[in-house]
Amino acid sequence: MSIDSVEEKIHQKLDLIKKKDHEINAFIEVYEQDAVNQAREVDKRIKEGKAGPLAGIIVGIKNNIAIKGKLLTCGSEILKTHHATYDATVVKKLKEADAIIIGSLNMDEFACGSDGTYSRIKITKNPLDLERVPGGSSAGSGAAVAAGFCDATLGSDTGGSVRCPAAFCNSYGFKPTYGAVSRYGLSDMAMSLDQIGIISKDKEIVKKVFSVISGKDEKDQTTQLAENLKKEGEIKRIGIPVEFFESIDGRIEKAVRSRIKELESNFEVEEVSIPTLKYTVPIYQLVMAAELSSALQRYDGLRYGLAADRNDELYSAFANVREHFGNEIKRRIMIGTYITMKEFKDAWYTQALKARERMKIEFKEVMGKVDIVAGPAMPMPPWKFNEISDPLQLYAADTLTIAANLTGLPALVEPLSDSIFDGAIQFYGRHFDDFILLSFD
Amino acid sequence: MVELRDGIKVKIGLEIHVQLKTSSKLFCSCPTDYRDKPANVNICPICTGQPGAKPMGLNSKALEQLLKIGLALGCGFNHDVVVMRKHYFYPDLPTGFQRTSRSIGYEGKLGKIRIREIHIEEDPGRYELRQGTVDYNRAGVPLVEIVTEPDMESPEDARLFLDELDAILNYLDAGRDEPGSLRVDANISINQQTDHGLIEGTRVEIKNINSFKGVFDALNYEIVRQNNVLRRGGKIERETRHFDESTGSTVSLRKKETEEDYRYMPDPDVPPILISEDRILKIKEKLPELPRQKAERLEKQYKIKQDGAWILSMDMNLAKLFEELVFKVESKGVIIDAQKIASWIRGPLKKQLNYRKITYAESCLNSEWISDLLVMFFKDELTDRGAEQVLIAMIDKKENPREAAEKMNLLKSKDQGEVERFVDEVLSSQKKAVDDYLAGNEKSLNFLIGQVIKATKGRADSKVVKELILKKIKKE
Repeated sequence: MSIDSVEEKIHQKLDLIKKKDHEINAFIEVYEQDAVNQAREVDKRIKEGKAGPLAGIIVGIKNNIAIKGKLLTCGSEILKTHHATYDATVVKKLKEADAIIIGSLNMDEFACGSDGTYSRIKITKNPLDLERVPGGSSAGSGAAVAAGFCDATLGSDTGGSVRCPAAFCNSYGFKPTYGAVSRYGLSDMAMSLDQIGIISKDKEIVKKVFSVISGKDEKDQTTQLAENLKKEGEIKRIGIPVEFFESIDGRIEKAVRSRIKELESNFEVEEVSIPTLKYTVPIYQLVMAAELSSALQRYDGLRYGLAADRNDELYSAFANVREHFGNEIKRRIMIGTYITMKEFKDAWYTQALKARERMKIEFKEVMGKVDIVAGPAMPMPPWKFNEISDPLQLYAADTLTIAANLTGLPALVEPLSDSIFDGAIQFYGRHFDDFILLSFD
Repeated sequence: MVELRDGIKVKIGLEIHVQLKTSSKLFCSCPTDYRDKPANVNICPICTGQPGAKPMGLNSKALEQLLKIGLALGCGFNHDVVVMRKHYFYPDLPTGFQRTSRSIGYEGKLGKIRIREIHIEEDPGRYELRQGTVDYNRAGVPLVEIVTEPDMESPEDARLFLDELDAILNYLDAGRDEPGSLRVDANISINQQTDHGLIEGTRVEIKNINSFKGVFDALNYEIVRQNNVLRRGGKIERETRHFDESTGSTVSLRKKETEEDYRYMPDPDVPPILISEDRILKIKEKLPELPRQKAERLEKQYKIKQDGAWILSMDMNLAKLFEELVFKVESKGVIIDAQKIASWIRGPLKKQLNYRKITYAESCLNSEWISDLLVMFFKDELTDRGAEQVLIAMIDKKENPREAAEKMNLLKSKDQGEVERFVDEVLSSQKKAVDDYLAGNEKSLNFLIGQVIKATKGRADSKVVKELILKKIKKE
């Protein structure tokens, strides 16, 4: 523990944020007074020897995770002025562990995006190169860590939305096993894919935070198996799927292969193949869109957010509110609605579900032979703003991260150097091997 | 009752939604008592669909109540409960979809009506169309939906089915019994039986009927309406109609050209819940004797008439009362046919209850007092009218029967002399009636007897009074 009190540390961070964030735009809200008050409390508890395991750790929270009384915009127009009425489970746990929650972080609208430019609130920049994107959809979470505003940030990861900004901002990014961390309080994007993840420059901090926020929660029934999280285990064999190296930026491939070479001295490294990876993006697009259209049905302007016009006829009132979704959201809602209609279900959605099962089986087979698989985290370095306008190109950026969400496997992204152009390496572990994955090497 | 033309067969199927009796909602711990509460107090982030809120574990009490109902209806069971999302937009639906399960119980039977399936679902909130307000107190309350095959052939069949279902729910204490706790959607089609086979009619759905009488009336109205359309050479449209309680008629809601597509999807937030064979067996063991079984047993054991046994069994508390009375009356020294007790319950007791529009359970009567009353009555210490007066005092003034009888001086007058005096008085003051009787008008005799009974304030035995009157008149 440094000689600075937590309160002093908070003031340092707040000053840095005041100085730099107007350029970077990582934050939606900075909880200046709350953070200072919390810091004082924590200092007291440290003196009394009663401090929680995260005492002194400063955390930023992606703005789709509910903090009672604070703005929960989800990066959208519709929730621009909505304040959450309760704390997400992970937020409760962080507070109980004496972490300081310093503010809420910018994101792509309803977590749909890979570079942060789909936020309806502001555009976040990559602190390592202000002309480039920080990654998405947890854009602010990546940027805040890279800029030194937070020790760690929470994001949400549905197809790579924690690992992409981590890679682009040269930090560790971790997506837990599906069901290891409670999603209660996380606004849904795709319920069977979403997990709350952690970004930090320090892997030990990632592990500490994960330790606090993971665990079974009666308010999220999909965490029933969280007690299966293994405390110990060994990594001996690493598999390198050939499919992970298709169409990768040359410099990134070089850096990743070089890292793998280093690993060969301590681990058995072998090439493997997971053929269904070829279909990663289409499977994801269909499954995600179907679940997203369901997740966003609740936004009708009656209970929270942008209000429906009382003088309107019923369905017009709903439509007029939902008109305020961004184009990308509308696109995905339409696709999701279309493919889940009776007439079209078997042509698209059912096939995607079958392919997803196939992918799970293939991964299970491979993970029976090796303990983790490795490859690049992102196929290209962070692009410049406005460099990519075609949504299909953007979707392809997720091609290496999505499989972890489709299978529910835990995945860790590790920066390779100080340069964002070297990219990052990504490791997938077995279900509930999270602690092992965070400890190896 | 509607008279149908020859060869017309009516097919009726029902979908019944009943609120299950639990203290909490289906997916959160909010209380379920929403009547007489201010709007939007029994709510939380989960049942108002706040961004980020997720369902908690499916209320196990609700599932238990559903399993009890399924067992009573003779259903087989699927061993996992899969909760689906049924999507549509409506103000009373907080998440834009209703959580409703795949069928849990299936292929049951009640009497001659087959049960297709039963499943569990969330009640939506209450939307006040005219004021444009929504109350989410009711959102998330557990419902069981019971779907029958279209085996009912008349509104009467439907009514009998619902009566028995209601009795079962009572016996199991599985359903809420408050206004609005039970809603019925009725499906009806009129089919023609010809020499070439059955020509199927078009199915019309009548939604959201709130009472049993409503179901009966709505179905009767539909039969008349459809009959009229067909007679005029028209066609029945496949549609959904609404039943207007105030006019007793059904009104077109929307034409059903296509089925609405709810885009059912298994809810990713609710892992399937497993029901073990063991759990079902345990619940089965604890089931009480059900109405139909009880009726059969009462008929056999007490040798009472079938329809009487049935009527008693439809009300759990009356059936219990009957058996207690048989026992108590006998133990108090009066040997009597159980049928007489059954008839008394069906007759004089029911009369007073119906008049006050209360059930036996609501009356604060008890079997101990009633047995005392019956003992007095069967021992001939009270006349019919006297017994009625005592019963009224027991209900309205909560008086003990013997005390009430004595207070109101209803115990039959054993004093022959006193009765004779009243007879003399009446005969002398009602000379015209006496003459009328002697002239051959039998009714005048009844009038005279009535006058004496009145004068004795119901204490005189009418048989004795008649004998005395005849004796005295003949003398003259």
